[in-house]
Amino acid sequence: MTNHMNHTFHMVNQSPWPLIGAMGAMITLTGTIKWFHQYEQTLMSIGMITMIMTTIQWWRDITREGTYQGLHTSKVTKGLRWGMILFITSEVFFFVSFFWAFFHSSLSPTNELGSMWPPTGIQVFNPLQIPLLNTAILLSSGVTITWAHHSILENNYNQGLQGLFMTVILGLYFTALQAYEYMESPFTIADSVYGATFFVATGFHGLHVIIGTTFLITCLMRHLTLHFSSNHHMGFEAAAWYWHFVDVVWLFLYISIYWWGS
Amino acid sequence: MTTWSCMNLQDSASPIMEQLIFFHDHTMMIITMILAMVLYFMASTIINELVDRYMLEGQTMELMWTIVPAVILLFITTPSLRLLYLMDEIHNPIMTIKTIGHQWYWSYEYSDFVNVEFDSYMTPYEGDNKSMFRLLETDNHVTLPMHSFIRIIVTAADVLHSWTIPSLGIKADATPGRLNQSSFMINRPGLLYGQCSEICGANHSFMPIVIESVSTENFIEWIKKLSE
Amino acid sequence: MPSLAVMASKKEVPQELSTAPFDPRFPNQNQTRYCWQSYVDYHRCRKLKGEDYAPCDYFRKCYESLCPFAWVEKWDTQREENRFPGKI
Repeated sequence: MTNHMNHTFHMVNQSPWPLIGAMGAMITLTGTIKWFHQYEQTLMSIGMITMIMTTIQWWRDITREGTYQGLHTSKVTKGLRWGMILFITSEVFFFVSFFWAFFHSSLSPTNELGSMWPPTGIQVFNPLQIPLLNTAILLSSGVTITWAHHSILENNYNQGLQGLFMTVILGLYFTALQAYEYMESPFTIADSVYGATFFVATGFHGLHVIIGTTFLITCLMRHLTLHFSSNHHMGFEAAAWYWHFVDVVWLFLYISIYWWGS
Repeated sequence: MTTWSCMNLQDSASPIMEQLIFFHDHTMMIITMILAMVLYFMASTIINELVDRYMLEGQTMELMWTIVPAVILLFITTPSLRLLYLMDEIHNPIMTIKTIGHQWYWSYEYSDFVNVEFDSYMTPYEGDNKSMFRLLETDNHVTLPMHSFIRIIVTAADVLHSWTIPSLGIKADATPGRLNQSSFMINRPGLLYGQCSEICGANHSFMPIVIESVSTENFIEWIKKLSE
Repeated sequence: MPSLAVMASKKEVPQELSTAPFDPRFPNQNQTRYCWQSYVDYHRCRKLKGEDYAPCDYFRKCYESLCPFAWVEKWDTQREENRFPGKI
């Protein structure tokens, strides 16, 4: 195929990843159900490995198309940008549903909970300890990623690297603290609707932090191999948006669940 | 209950249902007039052969077909809201009964004076028994005094059910863990029939409700016998 | 409480019917909280004023009229086993 086309769109080549990814998702789903019923994780692990391998190779291909083949023209980038905006919007609504569940349960607690929030018998986390530290960490990571962004815009390779590196470290630090806090928790996901809303909301946020950190690590490695220029770094921008989204969700979680909810 | 060839609402047994029937007839009259008008307009546009090629707008007509429906809607919403709030009102209830939906029967509790509770199961249909209705009879009737305001608390023990008596104009969801309140006043003696109105499983159609409306004296006698 | 005098001939028949009145704190169709609050108030009242304080019976009347028997039994057991969720 030639790169000379009469239009600016990216006509993608045939790729195995959509099909293999779909099969991986199906195997993961089936395997998870098998795990629930038969306490046997093999099928689920095969599915997960398939999915992880697919995502790695799929995005490797996209990187090649964008960075080495020059297929991501400004028009294509515009499409990618819209795709990321819509994806994050859908993620926002995903979290809206958890907040809805939380406020539904906490604003008029049922009599089974003792008609109060937090429910009778639930010892909550002190919002001024680890959660406040986590807030500070995520806010700082917002600063460092903006620092990295401005450095890339000004062709400052070293500071871009430092900013990205610091952001990744702060992301890992956040995850470590959340893991520690989960281990210390005096209540479980099975402890009333408090435990359920708490762990589902903060757990999915934690998952998004891990995904965001992986995204940032990918950007860090691409930066090390000089993939980003001052006028074309869509992958980095997407990671930065995603990171800010995770940050904002945490602020809402902190204010409503940790602080107001205690 | 509805008998053969009864195509309309059941006869009312409470003031609220009377009002509901009036509202139904009122709205039916309006919809019939609208239907007739629209049919006439459609027929005349189809039959009409005159064409005005220069008519591009009709401000007066547009104004009319905006304002007139708004006024018609007002004539529907006003009595509708009045009734809605009237049905919600609790006018000094004389007594409270509780009904609890189960899979698949209703149980009833009277606890204002003596504590009485019983289950109400459907009685199987006996084909040759001319004095019973199919799928509507229960072994224990909910006996209630007529001419008095009664509060009913509706809830469920397992899944969603719905407690309904069409001739009283009552339908209240029965939800586990929640107490729903409704009220009514029966204005004549007799048997009032209803059925579970929320799909609740295999035997949803086989948990009917029968109210036996009696005089206050007979009611007292009945509850006294039950509590012994 | 609203009441209706009943022409009663026999001795054990209650002289009037009465039930939990309309409570403006619970103006909605959902009366769950009215039942629960009356139960909690009754036991709070007895704890504060003693078991023989007659006005507490008002709350008992309310919760007995409104709460399903199964709920009251469950809460009584929870109170006995010191695991009732409400503050009494």
